[in-house]
Amino acid sequence: MFAPVGRWFAERVPIGGQQLLELTNEPVPNHLKRWWWCLGGTPAYLFVVQILTGILLAFYYEPAPQTAYDSVRYITEEASFGWFLRGLHKWAATLMVAAVVLHQMRVYFTGAYRKPREINWMIGMCLLVCTLLVGFTGYSLVYEQLSFWGATVGANIADNVPVLGPFAKRMLLAGDVYNDRTLSRFFILHAAILPVAMLVLIGLHLTLIRLQGVTEFQFADEDRTKPRFFNFFPDHLLSELTIGLVLMIVLSVLATVLPASMGPRADPFTTPEVIKPEWFFYVAFRWLKLFSGTFAVLSMGLIVFLMFLWPFIDARMRKHRPSEASVWIGIVATLTIIALTVWEAAVAH
Amino acid sequence: MSHEQVPPSEPTRRGFLGTFSNVGAAAGVAAAYGTLGAMAARYLYPASKRALGWMYLAREVDFAHGSSLSYRTPAGERVTVARQGSTKQVEDFVALSSTCPHLGCQVHWEVASKRFFCPCHNGVFDASGKATNGPPADAGQSLGRYALKLEAGLLYIEVPLEGLSS
Repeated sequence: MFAPVGRWFAERVPIGGQQLLELTNEPVPNHLKRWWWCLGGTPAYLFVVQILTGILLAFYYEPAPQTAYDSVRYITEEASFGWFLRGLHKWAATLMVAAVVLHQMRVYFTGAYRKPREINWMIGMCLLVCTLLVGFTGYSLVYEQLSFWGATVGANIADNVPVLGPFAKRMLLAGDVYNDRTLSRFFILHAAILPVAMLVLIGLHLTLIRLQGVTEFQFADEDRTKPRFFNFFPDHLLSELTIGLVLMIVLSVLATVLPASMGPRADPFTTPEVIKPEWFFYVAFRWLKLFSGTFAVLSMGLIVFLMFLWPFIDARMRKHRPSEASVWIGIVATLTIIALTVWEAAVAH
Repeated sequence: MSHEQVPPSEPTRRGFLGTFSNVGAAAGVAAAYGTLGAMAARYLYPASKRALGWMYLAREVDFAHGSSLSYRTPAGERVTVARQGSTKQVEDFVALSSTCPHLGCQVHWEVASKRFFCPCHNGVFDASGKATNGPPADAGQSLGRYALKLEAGLLYIEVPLEGLSS
């Protein structure tokens, strides 16, 4: 009964099961059997969750100062399962930032960014920046106090950049200050421009991984007589699917036990006595308290720029003096980020 | 085996015209898409600056030296207007913005410590608006001042006329 249908498709889509298997069956190094090496697939999975839940939230969300807060409240309190979908979206965002950072740390500390993978590291850095921006624009949409003041501070951070800053601020806010046309810009950035940019970057990231192969590692306890690779399909795919299922369970529990709440509605004329961004910006927030505006913004930009170029800086350092200095630099940087984050979390001001 | 030296080919009229038309076509495509890009950028760039207007504040004679008043602009921002002299000139008055010059949060007056405080990044300002602590002090930023004018004994302030719709 299905044979004619199969033939009909085979004539129009000339690819067989064996060819599909060959296309997907990339040899995967054995170390990827260890779960903590699958952190690259985790944000990709969460990205899909964000697209699906984001599309559902967009059915009811209305991006204008007069309507945004009430539309989010409608989603949270009245729409069937809206509270759950919003919770999934919020927690998947949090886990996505964490997974991207952990993935980047894994790549960094194993030196997997070195030749010939420098370009893929830079694409990964762009993905990190996009992930943070999509997080920032995301919590700006709720139009609660944090949304409004976060957007205001973010735009003024841009304003501190010499030459291009004032232009960037006006483009972001659609005016000199937050106004009636600001929120729709954040929505377009959050729901269209940044996700499309991320899709393109993820496509490039995966293409380069396929072209170059996954970095190979061998551990001391590995049997060297056994094959060094296993199949992507179905072995590694099953690992990724298992991670996906575990993530779904974790997300569902988080969205149920710690649901996304509503803060006070935005008041453009009163900054709350205690105000903090989402946890992943604590380090930047503390940095901005420690130094004057322009210095803080430019130094943060310089750090991101150095991270972007790190494969080349590391290669130059190793050429002059072969050592694992990058590991020590990474440890110091990680501890500094953790210290500033904990500091910001521990105090009111 | 020896290679024969190939003389560089002479430029031909056909070759030149071919290159010329290719460059012309590329320039045309770039100009067309560039124009569209420029139009899109201009469309996205906010059209006009914020509209400002002069608003009446108080009669000069009613505003005693050393006193202050709190004023709310049509856009909703709080402004502290104080009289610091008695020359009957506009220089006697200052109108302090409540927007922190650091990153745009709203400062508030703390009565006990007699200071303006910005809760975002711990900026501190004295009663005259001068930054005394935090990032604004490091950068030498004071609270912004609104323009004032004194006409026929009446004090006016120049403020933005439009804010967020409620």
